[in-house]
Amino acid sequence: MVSAKTRVVNPQGMHMRPAQLLVNTLAVYPCEVTIHFGEKAVNAKSIMHLMAACIKQGSEIEIECDGEREEEALQAALSLIESGLGE
Amino acid sequence: MRIVDLLSQDKVSLGAFAGDREGVIDLLIALQRRSGALSDPAAFRRAILAREAQGSTAVEGGIAVPHAKSESVRNPSLAACVLQKGVDYGAMDQKPSDLFFMIAAPADGDLHLEILSHLMVLLMDPAFSQQLRQAPDAAAFLKTIDRFETEKFGEQTKSDAKRRGARILAVTACPTGIAHTYMAAEALEQAGRRLGISVKAETQGSGGAKNLLTREEIAACDAVIVAADREVDLTRFDGKRLLRVPVSDGIHRAEELLREAERAPVYRCVVQTAAAVENPSLGRRIYQQLMNGVSHMLPFVIGGGILIALAFLLDDPSINYANFGSNTPVAAWFKNIGGVAFNFMLPILAGYIALAIADRPGLMIGFVGGALAVSGATFSSPGGSSVSAGFLGALIAGFAGGYLMLGLRRICDLLPRSMEGIKPILLYPVAGLLAIGFFMCVVNPIVGQLNTSLYSGLERMGSGSKILLGIVLAGMMAIDMGGPFNKAAYVFGTSTLAAAAGQGSDVMAAVMAGGMVPPIAIALASTFFRNRFTTEEQKSGPVNYIMGLCFITEGAIPYAAADPLHVLPACVVGSGVAGALSMAFGCAIPAPHGGIFVFPVTANVGGYFIALAAGSVIGMILLAILKPARSAGRTMP
Repeated sequence: MVSAKTRVVNPQGMHMRPAQLLVNTLAVYPCEVTIHFGEKAVNAKSIMHLMAACIKQGSEIEIECDGEREEEALQAALSLIESGLGE
Repeated sequence: MRIVDLLSQDKVSLGAFAGDREGVIDLLIALQRRSGALSDPAAFRRAILAREAQGSTAVEGGIAVPHAKSESVRNPSLAACVLQKGVDYGAMDQKPSDLFFMIAAPADGDLHLEILSHLMVLLMDPAFSQQLRQAPDAAAFLKTIDRFETEKFGEQTKSDAKRRGARILAVTACPTGIAHTYMAAEALEQAGRRLGISVKAETQGSGGAKNLLTREEIAACDAVIVAADREVDLTRFDGKRLLRVPVSDGIHRAEELLREAERAPVYRCVVQTAAAVENPSLGRRIYQQLMNGVSHMLPFVIGGGILIALAFLLDDPSINYANFGSNTPVAAWFKNIGGVAFNFMLPILAGYIALAIADRPGLMIGFVGGALAVSGATFSSPGGSSVSAGFLGALIAGFAGGYLMLGLRRICDLLPRSMEGIKPILLYPVAGLLAIGFFMCVVNPIVGQLNTSLYSGLERMGSGSKILLGIVLAGMMAIDMGGPFNKAAYVFGTSTLAAAAGQGSDVMAAVMAGGMVPPIAIALASTFFRNRFTTEEQKSGPVNYIMGLCFITEGAIPYAAADPLHVLPACVVGSGVAGALSMAFGCAIPAPHGGIFVFPVTANVGGYFIALAAGSVIGMILLAILKPARSAGRTMP
């Protein structure tokens, strides 16, 4: 299991379009990906879960990957979120 | 913020049917409009579609949440629907979506994020979406949301929606629209004051509707009372509690009605999927007025056209070519009855255009205006001249009549209220009739003059190129289908028959070809390019094959009147081609009408057939090119 902390930088936070982008990006990795935000822990491969977490701009989150190709998945998620989730 | 507060029963649709993605969006926008949350539904629709274009808003499990932040949203609002059958909404799991929540959020703030997140928390529980899909009615649907929301987010104080406008709305109308309409409105408003209930009553008198209920007021009210002894348009009250009673109840039982109204059943009409624009643009309004005339005219064209076609079928042309269609008593009967329906065609067109513009007072003015256009009345020969202004004249009469009446109503508004009663029964009809009579007697001589100069122009051409003459004659037949151009060409054609003495005239053949092509071209286009036409037009398309083949050009009029700028050029070119070919092949016809029924006596009938087919196909292709395609699933109002 690997994990890393990062900050959501895009202006509108984890709204639907960025969430879809993240889900799509992570879909190719077999491992499980969980995002910890405050007390919540959500499945980062589900749009519904990501949206439900209501992660706004500037929030600190922790990404946790567990399983096959976990390191690759973590790096992909980090670079995507840090680059502003396509915004 | 609670989801359940952003929804309401009238913004939930269960078991509806939608053909595709845009169908669902239109359905949801129609629901959103009921709350008055949208200031500009068309702009909101664009915002929703723009959002979908960036990526589908479908999430897992057959659920989608179309949403948009837009200036066109006054206050945040939700609408929901469960479809009978899911549609492809571009979900990542490629499964059809059937449960929709549409979020309308104002442009500022990130409220939509909170609403989305809130919804998602609820939707993550599979029991939630399952119970929503199984909800028997909107009340149960909202109850389910309320229960889950309370469970997941705890009890939050429900904010009382701010109340705007009247609690109870009323519409009153009686057949004559003079006294009872206003008495009932007055009685209801007084009863409301006694009971402490705010009431607003719209009167649909014969002078037109007054004190109109706005969309926002309808959205905000608790119930609607319709006290009327004639038809009242109820579609705008869809989803509201509605009490429908005779107008006399409004006068005598006003207090009881106000109490009953709050318990009245919710009114449902067929959900209109097309998101009609709240304040239609001028072009859109003109189109709707035009279509009101065209749709009322259509039965006259079809009924009359088919009877006249039967007259040709039942007649024997060899008895007398010049009188084909009424040689035998049976044929004459059909031709005359069909002709009576045809005579009403243009007055109906003009009358219902004027009605759409100026309400009830407009009908008579438009009707008479249309009839005057047909008769070609002028100041010097008020009984009518030989030149009809045709359907273009009727269109002018309809719009002129409608706007004349609107102007007249404006002027009459300056009169004291005590004269209200005599306006619709005396002032409007008399002054309106004078106005339209004057107007048409000014227009008709211009038409007559045009006709005369066209005719003399044709006579001068007669000695020149035959093919050019064929093009011009046939094209003229299609320009106004019964107006000055058509008449000039037709009379010119028939005048050559006498000289031909039963041998057949090539000029007449070109004229007839020009009159046969427009309906056939339209029938072909409505068969092969269906999306260029409204549903109604598609259905009446095949009748045009019959009318075209029988040389009943009138079949094309409803299509031409509905969209003259696209249909007429296509018809004129198609007809021109047919006329030219008919001349080139040396076709000749000895009868002034009859279409396919006089083919047996036509010279070079093979060539004539080719000329007609070529003209019709070219007409069809031009129609397909010129007429814009209608987006799928849209129906016309």
